[in-house]
Amino acid sequence: MKVSFPYMGPVTAYRKLFEQLGYEVIVPPRPTQRTVELGAKNSPEFACFPFKVLMGSYIEACELGAELIFSSGGHGPCRAGFYGEIHARNLKNLGYQAEVVIFDEPLYNWKGFYNNVKRLKGDNSFFRLLRATFLTYRVMSELDKCERLLHRISPYQRKAGSAEKAWLLIQKEYANVFNGKGLALARSKTEEIIKEIELSKVEERDRIKIGIIGEIYVVLEPSINMGIENILNDLGCETERSQYLSEWVDYMLIPGKGKKEKGIMAKAEKYIDIVIGGHAKQNIGHIIDFKERGFDGIVHLKPFACLPELVTESIIPEMSRVYDIPILTLSLDEQSGLTNNLTRIEAFVDLIRKKDRARHIS
Amino acid sequence: MLSEVYVGIDVGSVSTNIAAIGSDQKIVFTYYTRTNGQPLVAIKKGLYRLKDELGDDTTIAGVGTTGSGRQLAGVMVGADIVKNEITAHAVATTNIKPDVRTIFEIGGQDSKLILVKDGMVVDFAMNTVCAAGTGSFLDHQAERLGLPIDRFGEMALKSKTNVQIAGRCTVFAESDMIAKQQYGFSKADIIMGLCRALVRNFINNLGRGKMLQPPFVFQGGVAANTGIKAAFEEELKQTVTVPDYFDVMGAIGAAILAWEEVEQKGCSSFRGLDSLKTDFTPSSFICEGCANMCEVIKVEANEVTIAVWGDRCGKWKENIKQVKLKEII
Ligand code: SF4
Ligand code: SF4
Repeated sequence: MKVSFPYMGPVTAYRKLFEQLGYEVIVPPRPTQRTVELGAKNSPEFACFPFKVLMGSYIEACELGAELIFSSGGHGPCRAGFYGEIHARNLKNLGYQAEVVIFDEPLYNWKGFYNNVKRLKGDNSFFRLLRATFLTYRVMSELDKCERLLHRISPYQRKAGSAEKAWLLIQKEYANVFNGKGLALARSKTEEIIKEIELSKVEERDRIKIGIIGEIYVVLEPSINMGIENILNDLGCETERSQYLSEWVDYMLIPGKGKKEKGIMAKAEKYIDIVIGGHAKQNIGHIIDFKERGFDGIVHLKPFACLPELVTESIIPEMSRVYDIPILTLSLDEQSGLTNNLTRIEAFVDLIRKKDRARHIS
Repeated sequence: MLSEVYVGIDVGSVSTNIAAIGSDQKIVFTYYTRTNGQPLVAIKKGLYRLKDELGDDTTIAGVGTTGSGRQLAGVMVGADIVKNEITAHAVATTNIKPDVRTIFEIGGQDSKLILVKDGMVVDFAMNTVCAAGTGSFLDHQAERLGLPIDRFGEMALKSKTNVQIAGRCTVFAESDMIAKQQYGFSKADIIMGLCRALVRNFINNLGRGKMLQPPFVFQGGVAANTGIKAAFEEELKQTVTVPDYFDVMGAIGAAILAWEEVEQKGCSSFRGLDSLKTDFTPSSFICEGCANMCEVIKVEANEVTIAVWGDRCGKWKENIKQVKLKEII
């Protein structure tokens, strides 16, 4: 059975899971302009941007022969709830037979979740499934940790591109992990790779930290967010995201591990008291969290036609004033040109630098 | 008399503007031309004109570039600083009017709102998708009414009756205008209605959720239009200042930034006017080195690659031979 999955963040990790379960894995191509156009053409016009990119990505996976696509869903008032259904129907209309299996939160639909797990497990024993899941999870968390570190140090790299080069090498290392021993080896190799990056010394007071918030798909996937973290790094800013996939898995699947997320939600209570879908509420919480942790600014990524993030956007001017932190909202869609957004991002960084300098002088 | 000037170049998709300031920060030269899809040609023309006007005794002591073509222009002239147009505009305005709080900038292809406090940008918004808030909208309507655009403002001020024109979108505005014409409203009234619609649009789109405080400055090519200025003043119930060099403010900002940069560095990286004779050829390709598939842009001078950007891992930058440019040119 040829399986595929959405291209979102650490694909190396998903690949692990399916390989371990004996599936033939089709890694979907990294989303490109073609993916986006293909998706937009085959989606309802009012659909949100992530829906369209996923659509395009599934089509490309099908072109490569995918027969089964595993994906995760969402619930609640935003559109993510009916993503899977429409994706599957559109694929059928295009003549592809691939089946789309959507994993929902277990607590939300326990029975459906269980059935999907059985589907994923196939002929494997539960033990094997658990082992594969655990290994995947470890790979995912370690990759997340590396990525986080790299975006913190890459603004200070001596040679342009060395952090990105390291990231490519690290992903390769983890692609070859099949058991605990491999994991340990990859970890030590990774340490070496990271040590190789030459960094210049920068005083703490001259460092600029920017938090990235927004809808989960555009926050996680650089290919559809213009590589926002790299852009900011190149402008000399450290970045950290509101979401890392391993944290999201913690929150969704591992009881007791979602404390951080709950704390974040509590912070948002004052502004949004109901869950309105997507990650709007978390994002409000993250603004406050980033501010409390001494970040200098926030970039908010809003996919076009995303209702929850539109709500976030409307609260942002007030939050920015109350918490005295500059926030830049960038709207992402199939037409968003890099040139214009680059102008906004550069101006935003200039603004933060000036603000910082003024603070140090006074 | 030997004198030094600092030059700012603002390369937009519609127009290319150049300004030069003396070491006393006085503006000594301004130039405006259509880009016509050939920014390099436009820059060359402008710089030769500068040389002609200021004479041989003047040396260029520093250069800054801005606008959507800033990066390429920067490589070509050897700019001391390459800056985004929002910052450049704000620098120019705060230099001329230090207490400014709100800047409206409306150009041919986009419009910006910049909020300033104590000479520092504190917030901004830029409209790049909707034509209803830019100069091209007015150009188009002027043409339709058979009126040269430079008479638009003067005509608008003759308006006696307040006509509401739906300005949400170019298409609606146009059909609404035709309807109003058929009702028999005068051209002047309709034009003033259009100006009001554009201003309402600008404030609703860009100013949403923001506090607009005086003093206000209005700049960019569209600021030539006295009708729009009047409409802003009417809407805000405050005076709005249009600076003398409203149409080249981005270039002035770039020149000031170049001056600051050279003051700090102590020397300029400007390549000299002679280097403009060289053929610069920009091109781009997709690197297939990994899944990132970066769009790499490279600039060649006399068939030697002198600059590369867009390669995330630095793979192509590494290959540039560190040859002295003088040797190529
Ligand atoms: S959160 Fe927004 S972008 Fe994401 S699925 Fe929901 S509507 Fe679409
Ligand atoms: S330039 Fe580097 S990061 Fe970009 S596609 Fe080529 S190898 Fe990959």
